[in-house]
Amino acid sequence: MSRKGVSFRVKEINSDIAQFRDLSISIGAIHEEKWDEPMGPTPFPTLSTLRSWDHTLLKRYKPFYLPFCDLCCLCTYGKCDLTGTKRGACGISMSAQQSRTVLIAACIGAATHISHSRDLLTHVIEQYGSDFPLNIGGTSVEVEAPITRLVCGVKPETLGDLEPVLDYCENQVTQLLAVTHTGQEGNNLDFESKVFHAGMVDHVGMEVADIAQVSALGFPKADPESAMADLGLGTVDATKPVVLVIGHNVPPSTSIIDYLRDNGLLSEIEVTGICCTAMDIARYSAKAKIIGPISWQLRYIRSGVPDVIVIDEQCVRTDTLQEAAAIRTPLIATSDKNCLGLPDRTNDPIDAIVADFVSGKVAGALVLDMEKVGEIAVRVAQGIAPNRKKQGTLPSKDRIIELAKKCTQCMLCRRACPNDLPIPQAIKPAAGGNLGPLNELYDDCVGCGRCEPACGQKIPVHSLIVGAAEKQTREETFCIRTGRGAIQDVEIRKVGGPIVLGEIPGIVAFVGCANYPKGSREVAEMCMEFAKRRYIVCTSGCSAMSAGMYRDKDGKTAYEKYSGAFEAGGIVNVGSCVSNAHISGAAIKIASIFAKRPLRGNYEEIADYVHNRVGAVGVAWGAMSQKAAAIAAGFWRLGIPVVVGPHGTKYRRMLLGRADKDEDWYVYDARTGEKVYGGPVPEHLFFAAETKEEAMVMIAKLTMRPNDTSKGRANKLANYVDLHKRHIGGLPPDVHRLVRVPADIPLTMKSEILEHLQQHDWKEQPIPDPTLLPRMVHTRRD
Amino acid sequence: MSEPIPVEVGLVYEGERVRKQDMQVELGGPSVTEKFEIVRVRKTDEITDGAIEIIGPDITQMTEGNVHPLGILVELAGERVEPDLEGVVERRIHEYCNYIEGFMHLNQRYDIWIRLSKKSYKKGLTSLKIIGHVMHELFKNELPIIEKVQITFITDPLEIKPLYAEALKTYEARDARARGLSDDDVSEFYGCALCQSFAPTHVCVITPQRYANCGAISWFDGRAAAGIDPKGPIYAIAKGECLDKEKGEYSGVNESARQRSMGEVKRVYLYSAFGYPHTSCGCFEGIAFYIPEVDGFGIVLRSFRDLTVNGLAFSTMADSTAGGRQIDGFHGISIEYMRSKKFIDADGGYHRVVWMPHETKDRLKPFIAPDVFPAIATELDVKNIEDLHAFLAGHNHPVTERWRATDAAAGVEAAQQVQVFSGGDIPLTVAGFRIILKNAKITAEKVIIQPIRPHVKPGGEHHDAKKQ
Repeated sequence: MSRKGVSFRVKEINSDIAQFRDLSISIGAIHEEKWDEPMGPTPFPTLSTLRSWDHTLLKRYKPFYLPFCDLCCLCTYGKCDLTGTKRGACGISMSAQQSRTVLIAACIGAATHISHSRDLLTHVIEQYGSDFPLNIGGTSVEVEAPITRLVCGVKPETLGDLEPVLDYCENQVTQLLAVTHTGQEGNNLDFESKVFHAGMVDHVGMEVADIAQVSALGFPKADPESAMADLGLGTVDATKPVVLVIGHNVPPSTSIIDYLRDNGLLSEIEVTGICCTAMDIARYSAKAKIIGPISWQLRYIRSGVPDVIVIDEQCVRTDTLQEAAAIRTPLIATSDKNCLGLPDRTNDPIDAIVADFVSGKVAGALVLDMEKVGEIAVRVAQGIAPNRKKQGTLPSKDRIIELAKKCTQCMLCRRACPNDLPIPQAIKPAAGGNLGPLNELYDDCVGCGRCEPACGQKIPVHSLIVGAAEKQTREETFCIRTGRGAIQDVEIRKVGGPIVLGEIPGIVAFVGCANYPKGSREVAEMCMEFAKRRYIVCTSGCSAMSAGMYRDKDGKTAYEKYSGAFEAGGIVNVGSCVSNAHISGAAIKIASIFAKRPLRGNYEEIADYVHNRVGAVGVAWGAMSQKAAAIAAGFWRLGIPVVVGPHGTKYRRMLLGRADKDEDWYVYDARTGEKVYGGPVPEHLFFAAETKEEAMVMIAKLTMRPNDTSKGRANKLANYVDLHKRHIGGLPPDVHRLVRVPADIPLTMKSEILEHLQQHDWKEQPIPDPTLLPRMVHTRRD
Repeated sequence: MSEPIPVEVGLVYEGERVRKQDMQVELGGPSVTEKFEIVRVRKTDEITDGAIEIIGPDITQMTEGNVHPLGILVELAGERVEPDLEGVVERRIHEYCNYIEGFMHLNQRYDIWIRLSKKSYKKGLTSLKIIGHVMHELFKNELPIIEKVQITFITDPLEIKPLYAEALKTYEARDARARGLSDDDVSEFYGCALCQSFAPTHVCVITPQRYANCGAISWFDGRAAAGIDPKGPIYAIAKGECLDKEKGEYSGVNESARQRSMGEVKRVYLYSAFGYPHTSCGCFEGIAFYIPEVDGFGIVLRSFRDLTVNGLAFSTMADSTAGGRQIDGFHGISIEYMRSKKFIDADGGYHRVVWMPHETKDRLKPFIAPDVFPAIATELDVKNIEDLHAFLAGHNHPVTERWRATDAAAGVEAAQQVQVFSGGDIPLTVAGFRIILKNAKITAEKVIIQPIRPHVKPGGEHHDAKKQ
């Protein structure tokens, strides 16, 4: 039970022990404690509470700056040139300015998740009441909100209990944003520490959002066998009226499903989605179809298939209104964060709104009442579909040839392309009737559309690529296991044995956006490669979709081929962006489940545990957004490394360890208190890989931890060496730093590794009970 | 590999499957009777290291797509290699074969099922000798105490028959020894500190009659591992003096636990869930949990998803069991330990067990005394403690005798509980002064209401100083 803002007044009380007159009592909040775990040292940490932990990590993983821009133009003194040793008008240095920009990005990301979380929570509390109990996974989940417990020291039981948790998050983001004002923080490492803080708060916000929607909206509850949903452009039945939802906040979409269900229309209307709203609507009804990640927005809209488009918030293309108008499809905006200049029709009668849309009188409207959105969207789709006849803007083959002939080979489209795709080289043969090369670009294209405004001839370049791949888009018929939510406590218990016995080399989470260097196929390939190698693979958001958009040589998608359980070789789709909290949550639960470390308000100790013991790596191969920056930062503060694709360097700095500096890798052996060499593991905290191959080798390396048992290390090394041999060539040069005792050597590689060790003057090192915190050294009790 | 092998050998091939249409030949499998793999320990002068022999046709002499019988006889010798290790070493055959690209190995002993893929055959994997070379090298790489390894493949349908019969006899003798071996028969137990990488204060003690909590390591496995790498995470524990035969307390075990747990755990009762129970990490297969209302134990396995009879789920109780602590009445266990005669023997064994899921009960039927079997309730019989009480009384479960003996003590306890609640009022009633507030305004940012902790039954956590 939790209650806010209680106050009462008493005119007069007379009793044996006391007399009160005009007594007024007001209490900010009444909180009934049912949790008997003692409060840890740092509930609701402020900006500086965990500073020393952050600096411990940052000392080892020093920021390596990659200025994306040499100038600061945030105040009117500027622009200030910060190159070299120059400082800005306010005195800021380049390194501080880079970190400051990262902090701004992380604040935007955290604010976005937290605000999404607030909207969602307010909505479900309105619908179900604040006493509605949280249920994340029934009897299989004991630790319902590991991050909230850890950070806030709160054990939420009802939707209402989540409100003070969000109050805290909102408060912290405000403080963090204030840090970026001119003339505040001046030290780059302190900026970085605050980036970590933003990330931690972001994970709290994400956890609140997902446990609220899992509980209230009846999403799969930590279910390893959650239903399969259709995925891909080719799964849509375009003969039916089609609704398209885009964004992240699911209530408008659930309202559509509810209306269809209540009116027996579920099989007559297609509900399709892009981005995380799609992921979450599929968790609500497996009948909903997921088109794909953000990169599918232009291609799907231009296909003309959607009869009505409903947008909510985040990662919605800001030109959606123009794109929708081009195919004569009405657009309904449903979030006050994303109004697009549309008239507010929230309070108008449904009939009037529907009539205006169907008659073509209005192209778009803002409707902020979730109850109304469902009915409006469905009735508009029904009303408009017969006349629209799915008119798209994608050119026919003849039209592509005609347009291609206009190309002057000026190369501006290629320069505008974030992935430098050889577009002009593909348009040239198209002018002669060969659309093959254009079609080939389709897989690699991230769908940003930047090529089009670049074209001096006004060729709709993106449409040419999609049009050339028309047959391929029809064949996009994949499937995805719907987001299952949390990892069961019981699943974590089950994998403990296989991890220490060296049967599971690690946990790899493919998360984040779709700004891939070579299309989405690479994510699917990496997922399958690591699942085949018996890693536990987690997916979420756009990456979870990409993981399903590829069939192997047996014709199976990753989700058909591998189980959805948190086990060796499982591919676990946790859900949408906000479900990422379940991945960091699982790492935190390991400390509680195996070592019975208290989570409550005990961040530093648990982060130290996770960093030194839990062999998890996050991979954001197409990280694009500010949210991705915040998510990554939340993993960093827990000491979990993150690998990003080449575009990730635009986040302005990496956090790189120096394996060659032995002194950086000393840990306390908690048994003896001695400082011992723990090895360069995990070697980096934030690393951008140039290619998929480089990423896979690095992922395998970054799953190593100083506590690895010999069997565990041998398995991790076997995968690292094998991947290195296949993709880079030869034995990795640093094997001698990663072998601690002879039993660490993988037995199928014994002779060559022994030879390498000899060449490097290798010496045996003890395997420590590792910690970076002197206070965690055990005192003997005998 | 030190010898050139035409295909790759590595961990990455472990999960590889060879489907029927892709197979060159099948060896063993469901369609042939005679198939086996066995490890035997020999005297050093009886075998030749590195000798690999094939009795019968080799792969090139087999028709594509055909099925053949196969026996794999691995003979070992070494000063420290003893026959008790045979079973443990034998399981490596499965692992090693699966490391070979395109060579799928399923099952063990008399159930083996092997397929060679056409692709690997084309790459040059055309002889069982190559398989022998890989196995030979891996055995010696992993298990340095093995001085000699000689491997024989038998594919001749006639030659295999007598060897198959002999292998069956050997398995049976080996199983009989394992079943019959008691904790009294051995002088050494084994400790496993593998889980300390996640639970730094937990140690498992592995005896012939007490499997590791994870269910993955037997006394024989422990013996093999400790023999191969005495400095490794699995190590020998000299039993020392038997301090309490009934509870299973040994001076050597106590000393080892004290050392390895940094003094957190000073004494261990191997066969009891009370007093100084064996600790748990987090990956135990099941929990034996004490139900004070009926003075008996419930058992729940990790796989049981519903609430147990005390209203708590596995996950909830597991939270009280894990983390290397000694918690009275919450006992992390392996399924194999439930099959042991010593299973919570000091507490009454199965005569003290009152509830378990019916699936578990069926599974353990051969190990539960027939007289108590029908008196153990399952989730199909009872849903709560009240019903359980009635069920046990109705079936005259052995614990009902204990109820009669402790009735009087229970009365005293109830009286004590009342006092705990009345204590909270005392400071106000004896304050001796009047509080007068006029036009007062009391503001609190937050008021936290904490429950008065219920009186803990005797036998709570065993960490407070006065009990030690």
